[in-house]
Amino acid sequence: MSDQKNSTHAKDTGHTWDDNLRELTNQPPRWWMISFYLSLAWVVVYFVLFPALPLANSYTKGILDWTQMKEFQGDLAELEKIRAPFETRIAKMPVSAILGDKELSNYSVQSAKVLFGDRCAPCHGNGGAGNPGFPVLADDDWLFGGKIEQIHQSIMNGRRGSMPGFATNSTPAEIDLLAQHVLALSEGGSNPVGRNLFVNKGCAGCHGMDGKGLEMMGSANLTDKIWRFSPVTKDSVKHTISHGVNNAMDKNTRNAVMPSFAQQLSDAEIKKLAVYVHQLGGGK
Amino acid sequence: METTNANQKYNFEVVRWFSVAACIYFVVGTLLGVYIAAELAWPFLNFDIAEISFGRLRPLHTNAVIFAFGGCVLMATGFYSVQRTCGVKLWSDKLAWFTFGGWNLIIVSAVITLPLGLTQGKEYAELEWPIDILIAVVWLSFSANFIMTIANRKSSHIYVSNWFFLGMMVMITYLHVVNSLAIPVELFKSYSIFSSVQDAMIQWWWGHNAVGFYLTAGFLGIMYYFVPKQAERPIFSYRLSVIHFWALMFGYVWLGAHHLQYTALPDWTGSLGAAISLAMIIPSWGGAVNGMMTLSGAWDKLRTDYILRFMIMSLAFYVMSTFEGPVMSLKTVNALSHYTDWTIGHVHSGALGWVGMVAAGALYHLVQKLWNREMYSVQLVNLHFWMATIGIVIYIVAMWISGIMQGLMWRDYDEFGTLTYTFAESVAAMHPYYVMRTVGGFIYFAGTVVMLYNVVMTIMGASKERSTQTAHAQA
Repeated sequence: MSDQKNSTHAKDTGHTWDDNLRELTNQPPRWWMISFYLSLAWVVVYFVLFPALPLANSYTKGILDWTQMKEFQGDLAELEKIRAPFETRIAKMPVSAILGDKELSNYSVQSAKVLFGDRCAPCHGNGGAGNPGFPVLADDDWLFGGKIEQIHQSIMNGRRGSMPGFATNSTPAEIDLLAQHVLALSEGGSNPVGRNLFVNKGCAGCHGMDGKGLEMMGSANLTDKIWRFSPVTKDSVKHTISHGVNNAMDKNTRNAVMPSFAQQLSDAEIKKLAVYVHQLGGGK
Repeated sequence: METTNANQKYNFEVVRWFSVAACIYFVVGTLLGVYIAAELAWPFLNFDIAEISFGRLRPLHTNAVIFAFGGCVLMATGFYSVQRTCGVKLWSDKLAWFTFGGWNLIIVSAVITLPLGLTQGKEYAELEWPIDILIAVVWLSFSANFIMTIANRKSSHIYVSNWFFLGMMVMITYLHVVNSLAIPVELFKSYSIFSSVQDAMIQWWWGHNAVGFYLTAGFLGIMYYFVPKQAERPIFSYRLSVIHFWALMFGYVWLGAHHLQYTALPDWTGSLGAAISLAMIIPSWGGAVNGMMTLSGAWDKLRTDYILRFMIMSLAFYVMSTFEGPVMSLKTVNALSHYTDWTIGHVHSGALGWVGMVAAGALYHLVQKLWNREMYSVQLVNLHFWMATIGIVIYIVAMWISGIMQGLMWRDYDEFGTLTYTFAESVAAMHPYYVMRTVGGFIYFAGTVVMLYNVVMTIMGASKERSTQTAHAQA
């Protein structure tokens, strides 16, 4: 970049625009011209190596025989080689046996961590800590049972509890009494009038005479301080009693649906997830 | 006086309006950018209001900076330089005012429709079909006026800046029309005539060439007029400008497919895009070499001329981002960089560094010429220069770190062959860099406010001076 190259005395093209705009006749820098030809050569080389040019009904394949599908499958095969010794056994074993095998359960927990983080944590929270409206998975309170097979079922087929709404066949006073009773149950007490209603209205049919719930039906245990729907207020309890859960007849009903993952995840993935959830803290 | 004559000889009034609009849109567009950057760092800023959520404001930001700011800069500088380099007045004043009104009408419609969620869902081509038609009409009015002014020129040859403007006009018309072909079903709802992977291909053929022809070729046109003017030096090499002009025109249009590596796009299309992308580094650098060598022998001017500093710094960012982009288009790099913040960082080193800074330099030059006086404060020009430079560096460093970190986290696996990180963990890891990006963006935005203030004060001083002159003349 010597001064001479661009001094006002250097040769220009002989044209002047707008009083003082001129162009000099300097050659482009040598390094630039060489790189320019190398760029053209690069394109030719790349076209020979890789699929690059469309033909009438096909395209040039390139001498490296590269395709993105092959690259993907190659990378996947590498991972599957690492996973294979575990995965072949997991495929054949029932989920309870996997839980019993220290090596396999350890592998499952590692392997399912990201599955849980991407698929389950959006509702159930990090580490199964729960979210408003979504059950905690890290405690020992289970709606549909905390045995490994039950957890496996929940993930595989999903769960959809149901509770009718009582607003249509009860007076506001009755619903208030029921709510008082349910709240008392969780404190270890009872509301005598409410208890009669609890039996007469059929609540006990699902929640049991003692209010401890039935795993078969997924009905909640009402005698502990763990609540399915928050916030835990009398109004909230009355809302659940009035409108029910997953009650198609009532648009104000509580929605509580666990989707089925059978279509989204492989059998092995569901088994590994069941083991993962089981060890979060509450598995039975 | 030279400028007084020029004022009578040329139509500068429309250029003045475009210049002021550009300064205002610079502030608005970057402010929107800062807000959506803050929304990513602190999502509560969405306030659960659909109209101001990230998804709605992001296209408004891109449209504001590319079309409102970029468009007004191109039209101001295009209308200015074509008159001066051809030695004739604009072909049609009325058409120029139509262009000004029409372009701003488009911007207003974007401000209304995008927050309402009326969109074609095509990146950088979100606006719905009635606005697309208006864009085509107004763009053609700009092009026709430009071309006819060149046809009327007094000079025998067409100056190099005009080649780049012409290349932009031809290609953007072609790209915009083809990409926007759609079947309307309602006033603000249409469906693209292309489907699936072909739609994606056409979309990125447009998307990348909006960068290539609008933000690169068009702004190279600006560079070729304003750098030699501001430096008062001749262009370094005519031959270099010819070669790199034609190489860019023929090469750039093939690059779009590199946005769709490892997708349903056929293998050959992706590698074709990647091969030509890498071959575009040298033609792109041709413009930077020519711009920087124009200064050779006059480097000392950079010490005192802050406007020239903007232009030279913009060329430095241009060199960097035209190297970075082709590297990112290579399959191996793309497998890591695609879908990460690295892409966002790359776009902004080009947009804030190259486009923003060369535009600021050209606008400062224009304001002084158009209002025939020095800038209100040279120190504020210098302040703007440093705010812009520091803001960009903070921004792109944040995005490099977070982008490469995202890419590495997403592909990392442990000794059991299992992914190490959940997606949510990668999102949480981004947070500090999103904050850092917001800070960098804010500094850049604050620089545009300094610029607007400086420009307004200059103009107000000018009009005061002009009215005293008129008063004297009358007395």
